[in-house]
Amino acid sequence: MEFEKGEVLETLHIPTLRRKWQILVLQVVSTLSLLLLLKKMNEVYGTCSEQFIIDHNVDSWCPAYEHTRGLMWLSNRGDLLIPDLLLGVSNTGTMSLVGPLLMCVAAAFAMDRFWASSQEFQTRFNQGAIAIFIAWMVVPFVFSWVVSMVYNGLEWPTEHLGKLFSPFDLVFELVFLGIVFAPVLAGLVGIWGLSKRPITWAVGYFIVVIAFHSVLTFEPLVSEVDVGLRALPTQIGEGTMFGGLVSPLASSLLGIAVLMLVFLESGSAAINHLEYAASLPEDCKRDPEYVRQFNNVVNAHLLQMGIVITLVLITTALALAFDDLMISIVGILEGTQWTGQVKESLELQMTYG
Amino acid sequence: MWTRKAALMLSGGICLILVGMMISNFQMIIIGLTFIAFISINGWIQGHSELEITRFVPHSNVYKGDLIEVSLTITNKSYRRTQQLEVFDNVPHQMKIRRGINQMRMNLGPGQTTKIQYMLRCPLRGHYSIGPVSVRYRNAFDLFVSESRIDDVCDITVFPQVREIEDAMLRADVPKMYTGATTLRTPGPGMEFYSLREYLSTDSLRSINWKAFARTGDLMVNQKTRDAVTDVYILLDAREVSRIGTVLKNPLEMGTAAAASISSHFLKRKDSVSLVTYAERMDFLPADTGDKQYYKILSRLASVSPSGSMPLQAVTNALAPRIGRGSPVFIISSLEGDGTTLPAIRNLSGNGHEVIILSPSSIDLERLVSRIPRMSYEVLKLERQNRLTAVSGYGAKVIDWMPDIELSQALMQSGR
Repeated sequence: MEFEKGEVLETLHIPTLRRKWQILVLQVVSTLSLLLLLKKMNEVYGTCSEQFIIDHNVDSWCPAYEHTRGLMWLSNRGDLLIPDLLLGVSNTGTMSLVGPLLMCVAAAFAMDRFWASSQEFQTRFNQGAIAIFIAWMVVPFVFSWVVSMVYNGLEWPTEHLGKLFSPFDLVFELVFLGIVFAPVLAGLVGIWGLSKRPITWAVGYFIVVIAFHSVLTFEPLVSEVDVGLRALPTQIGEGTMFGGLVSPLASSLLGIAVLMLVFLESGSAAINHLEYAASLPEDCKRDPEYVRQFNNVVNAHLLQMGIVITLVLITTALALAFDDLMISIVGILEGTQWTGQVKESLELQMTYG
Repeated sequence: MWTRKAALMLSGGICLILVGMMISNFQMIIIGLTFIAFISINGWIQGHSELEITRFVPHSNVYKGDLIEVSLTITNKSYRRTQQLEVFDNVPHQMKIRRGINQMRMNLGPGQTTKIQYMLRCPLRGHYSIGPVSVRYRNAFDLFVSESRIDDVCDITVFPQVREIEDAMLRADVPKMYTGATTLRTPGPGMEFYSLREYLSTDSLRSINWKAFARTGDLMVNQKTRDAVTDVYILLDAREVSRIGTVLKNPLEMGTAAAASISSHFLKRKDSVSLVTYAERMDFLPADTGDKQYYKILSRLASVSPSGSMPLQAVTNALAPRIGRGSPVFIISSLEGDGTTLPAIRNLSGNGHEVIILSPSSIDLERLVSRIPRMSYEVLKLERQNRLTAVSGYGAKVIDWMPDIELSQALMQSGR
């Protein structure tokens, strides 16, 4: 450790580390995987069943992981307060995610600034927000009631009660957006605001969405209550991608699982490394030996992450194609009556479960 | 060892696979498989910790309040990377890290070396050990942890602080004690020739008289006349009651600092100093002079801890045959909780000893840690004052040592 004051090129101070390429790579990888995860989830779980669309119409709402249907259903009951461009209602597919994602980025930035501000400012902000909300509820209601009484004389405000609840339209819009974009907002706050809890929460939310979707599309349940969700195929399909290793469906599902893992691990890794650096005393942050070892650890982490995630991808794909692999192996050993029987048995099991 | 994250991931993965199989949902199965594959693959990546760790501590003996700079050199002796290691040097909780930190997260390449340097402050006297070194391998994804220890221990002795008290002591009005070195007609450490005697294995080679060896054929050594004023006896009270106060400021801590300072003062004047500590039992270090004696006294003082309740009279009775007539006796005690103080001091004074009592005010020390009502404090203070007056009535010089008074200032009271 160099206790003498000298020229130190690299230090372990948090502002410096936040600009370090290794940390930025981890954060960017985590963010990209989160956005890709949202896109994949939207593609796989964001559609209603064909029967539901036939029975209702294209704009009808089903509890799919997609926000435009809910907002359109809301817009049919009255004008939306947030512009369509930001809600993505006027777009389809991936483009419909752009507006809300921009809102998420802005909200994540605002939340980060808010938590970094003083306790006094936070209290004042909260009080101001509550005051504005109450004023928004009460002022139009009182105004319309008074104006009505000027023209019609004294009356009970029963006809104006709707004005009292008008701010809740914004809340409903945010709720419909939040169902889909809450994990993205939490993820962004976690990655860039350096908090592990929102990252874990976002992963947990995605798993809960998948679990709900699975339960709501479970065959015995659908026969009783059909909420209109499109069920995933019960057969994984024939492997046509990556040298016949995975089917298109398996590829999508595997993509979701791996993106979830990449988002979780890279986001947490950046925070872990910064936490360690923050825990060091001032002398050590300037010590070239500590800086060198920090670089070693982070570089090794990046390398390991790349290798491990690739291996996980391959291993899981192989595990999914285990039946096919078995048939191929048995196929190589063909010629005997036994191998023929085994192959037939496996094919039957694969087809009918 | 598995971490909580790994356990949660594995159990979550198994649950997802089972539930997925029950409700024929491939997504759940795939997520479960991914989690398990992630754990399995990480299980293959092993950290390698064939480390060579050497610790360098410049001084193993320091004074209370001194700083020690510890340097730990870690070398990877294997041909593989260590992967993520956390090296932690165990430091006694009594020592405080003043600069740097006693740990580092590292990933050493083959043959690579790194160094941890930190500075410790030793605010408490005693015998301490730095080490062993804990090495923790942590998987990059925080899934597995394995810990090992490298038994590299370094012993440190923290001596009590030694204060300069010369000016204060010179003002004492006991001329016999402070007239400086005079020659005694007894063999011992000194400058003047006394006699010749046969060589013993414990004698240094420098003391051999080669001319006498040539003449007689036997190894002979020169004996010197002992230079000394007298033997000084220091009795340190280390009973349980000397714990009163804070960890850093209590009668025992003040007493050890005083004993070390007084010893240093007299040993520098070539006098002989004896140290007696009494706690659960009496610990007697015979009077001697020189640096070796100084080291012995400091080592004894470093290891003293409050315990027991041995009465002072038992100590003086045991010492009576060993103390030379007229030797000055320093008693460092709060004089609390001992009914034998008065007769013990009466006996010492009666035997012609110059008795000086340095008494840290335990009531004022207790006030540092607990709130004593004013009335109770006044009463206790009066009781203590009466006790000190009674002791001084037997001819002892009594110094009431307040916690906020420096030792040299306190000792000046004896000269007034």
